[in-house]
Amino acid sequence: MSRTRFFLSNEFGLVLLIAVFAAIFGLAATGFLSPFNLFTLGRNAAVNIMIGLSMMSVIVTGGLNLAIGAMGVSAAMFAGWLIEGVGVPWPLALAGGLACGAGLGFINGATVVRSGLHSFIITLATMSIFFGVMIFLTRAESYRDLPAVFSDFGRMKFAGYVSPLLLVTLATALVLAWLYRRTVTGREMLAAGAQPGAAELSGIRVGRMVILCHMLSGVLAAMAALMLVARNGAAIPSMAGQLGQDWLLLAFLGPVLGGTLLQGGKVSVLGTVLGAFLVTMLQSGLLMLQIGAFWVQTFLGLMLLIAVLLDKARRAYLARRNLA
Amino acid sequence: MMTDHPLFEAQGIEKAFPGVRALKGVDITLAGGSIHALLGENGAGKSTLIKIITGVHQPTAGTLRVDGEAVRFAGTRDAIARGIGVVHQERNLFPRFSVAENIHLEQIGASYFKPIDYAELNRKARQWLEPLELDVDPAMPVSELSVAKMQLVEIAKALSLQSRVLLLDEPTASLTASETDRLFAILRRLRDAGTSLLFVSHKLEEVQEICDRVTVLRDGENACDSRAMAGVTRGDLVEMMIGRAESAASGRRRAADGAPEMLGLQKVATELGHRDIDLSVRAGEIVGLYGLVGAGRTELAKAILGKFAITGGETRVAGEAVRIGSVAEAIHRHGIGYVSEDRKSEGLILQHSVLSNAGIPVWRRLAGAMGLLGDGKVRDAVLPYLEKLEVKTPSLAQSAGNLSGGNQQKISVAKWLAAGVRILIVDEPSVGIDIKTKAYLHDLLRDLADGGTAVLIITSDMPEMIALADRIAVMDGYTITGVVGNTGSYPEMSRRIMDLIHGPDAAARTA
Repeated sequence: MSRTRFFLSNEFGLVLLIAVFAAIFGLAATGFLSPFNLFTLGRNAAVNIMIGLSMMSVIVTGGLNLAIGAMGVSAAMFAGWLIEGVGVPWPLALAGGLACGAGLGFINGATVVRSGLHSFIITLATMSIFFGVMIFLTRAESYRDLPAVFSDFGRMKFAGYVSPLLLVTLATALVLAWLYRRTVTGREMLAAGAQPGAAELSGIRVGRMVILCHMLSGVLAAMAALMLVARNGAAIPSMAGQLGQDWLLLAFLGPVLGGTLLQGGKVSVLGTVLGAFLVTMLQSGLLMLQIGAFWVQTFLGLMLLIAVLLDKARRAYLARRNLA
Repeated sequence: MMTDHPLFEAQGIEKAFPGVRALKGVDITLAGGSIHALLGENGAGKSTLIKIITGVHQPTAGTLRVDGEAVRFAGTRDAIARGIGVVHQERNLFPRFSVAENIHLEQIGASYFKPIDYAELNRKARQWLEPLELDVDPAMPVSELSVAKMQLVEIAKALSLQSRVLLLDEPTASLTASETDRLFAILRRLRDAGTSLLFVSHKLEEVQEICDRVTVLRDGENACDSRAMAGVTRGDLVEMMIGRAESAASGRRRAADGAPEMLGLQKVATELGHRDIDLSVRAGEIVGLYGLVGAGRTELAKAILGKFAITGGETRVAGEAVRIGSVAEAIHRHGIGYVSEDRKSEGLILQHSVLSNAGIPVWRRLAGAMGLLGDGKVRDAVLPYLEKLEVKTPSLAQSAGNLSGGNQQKISVAKWLAAGVRILIVDEPSVGIDIKTKAYLHDLLRDLADGGTAVLIITSDMPEMIALADRIAVMDGYTITGVVGNTGSYPEMSRRIMDLIHGPDAAARTA
């Protein structure tokens, strides 16, 4: 990678932006750099990054997953039911929640592959289905009598302000980076996403890879929701908003800011992590500057648009200079 | 009746792109009533020159003249206004629009709110279709036409724009022999009516047949400038294009008679409608599958690979009856490789690196515990083959999409060499690649067969088929109409093949 290319990369741009905004908020918003705020910032970032990674793992296929909020909450509610309704020990319930996420992902993936329709329409449908069934089964009631280990984990601090949730997320990101770079499965996922026809005629089972990507997305969505459970100390049906839609903007912001191609076939795990972190920081900083929550939402929407346009310009520049 | 007065002239045309000088002072002169060949290998600058003539690019230096008057084209509309039309290699029609709408696309939008008079539109379209003997309803959507007819619609469109200079970029690439003959008759008629035609093609036989003048480009310069075609031999053309004489085509025969059969089809039927397919390819043998576009050759290849279901008969790989359920199974279990004619969407993953493209079929085999796989291992496995095929790339990390067509094709072949397949099916091996690479690829396929691989070639290029194949199976209407042993004699082979497609009577009529 040449030096010019590095300075034009998304990752470098994001690091720069994070530094700039950290300086601005540090000076302008009192308490932004306090250990408590850094702790909550890290904890929120842990969930947001995980949401971004969940979307990223489907964007790899050139598709998307509108149902991640619904899947995550359904999986977390399932884990809550396993504990309170069945009496399963909590580690097993966690595993059950992740398995539920994978199962819902399998439903999405298999339907996409079987029908040949775009994942947009399939996951739009399953978003409503999953969420509706979950509300029906739980009667929209929360699981609040969870073992103390959940909320303890959510409150735990390392070195004064590092949340263990953030460490879990970063470890997950490392595993994903390793998956895409160093394993056959990851490479096949990317190949299948970039050019399905060529991938199939090169011996890749494209359908299987698409399903795997959706299952991975489900597991990551379940992890994000279980982290929310740890933060709240309870599994709440509305913790990702109506139909889980509160997650959607966040889910796209991370990967898109980070330079994951929406057409599929190329990912940047580091970019997604940095992108989601930047978004979390902006949310926290703007709120501390006493800017209304709806303005924050507007700002994030604008950011998504600007990020896409900038990326387009950057690619055109690289292509013109024959750098990429 | 060629006029001496040139319709169009380009002098000293230079074009620089960042880092590349695509044209370094090129001249070309097009006269009315003439068919002018523009030849050159991929990368010689043909496409750039065409784009400058049609106003897509503006030259860095040099002058364009129309009727002796210096012109500057700021965009394609300027060129069209001066009577320069082009029929591109890629189809530029809107499939769901009607023939008439496509022909008059530029003229329809004269007034935003005026309703379109379709009766008038269709009547005017018929005016342009008739001279081309194109008997289609102008109201019919273009998507229902054959490829050859679409091509003619594009020519009609160019003519309706009052084009006096018509550029044809590889117009015969997807036409059958008889369709090509019809196209040529029409081009000759246009020539006789005074139009100046510029004909770009890789097929030298065609160029010699129809063109009266020729310009050859090599490395962005004129290897010859608008000289008369009379007295120029095929060898001369090749020498001008590649800068040296063509290596003699080695039509050596292989003796594969005693070798074991690697791929055998007996009475095979497929879900796509193939029936009674009998085909056999022995180890060390090159079998050609000849047929017109739409005969079902590519479809048969994909059915063998397991992409489409085989519904009857017996398939044997290395003597064993098999049922292949998926492409992955064909590749990984049975060692069958397939080089697609459609490199962009089925052959390569253009946005991924050269290394990744060449390595896909061997990933599974190279992977260690837990599917672990590093770049180093892949590089060791594929680099010898990329080097053997002289793939020119700045680095293995380069995106395959940035390489030339010839180099891309080499990668498509190299990946199967690295995978060590026993059976290789190559679909249109030389589509979109230049003569030098084509000759190289032919040698490579022969070497591969000599090394014991069973090779099945699908091509519509008769000289290529005769240069490569030991036996030629002829396909028509989703069945095999016969198999002929290749004697290496072009007239004899083409007659016998055409007999098998059209029946002996038809061949006698056309002869």
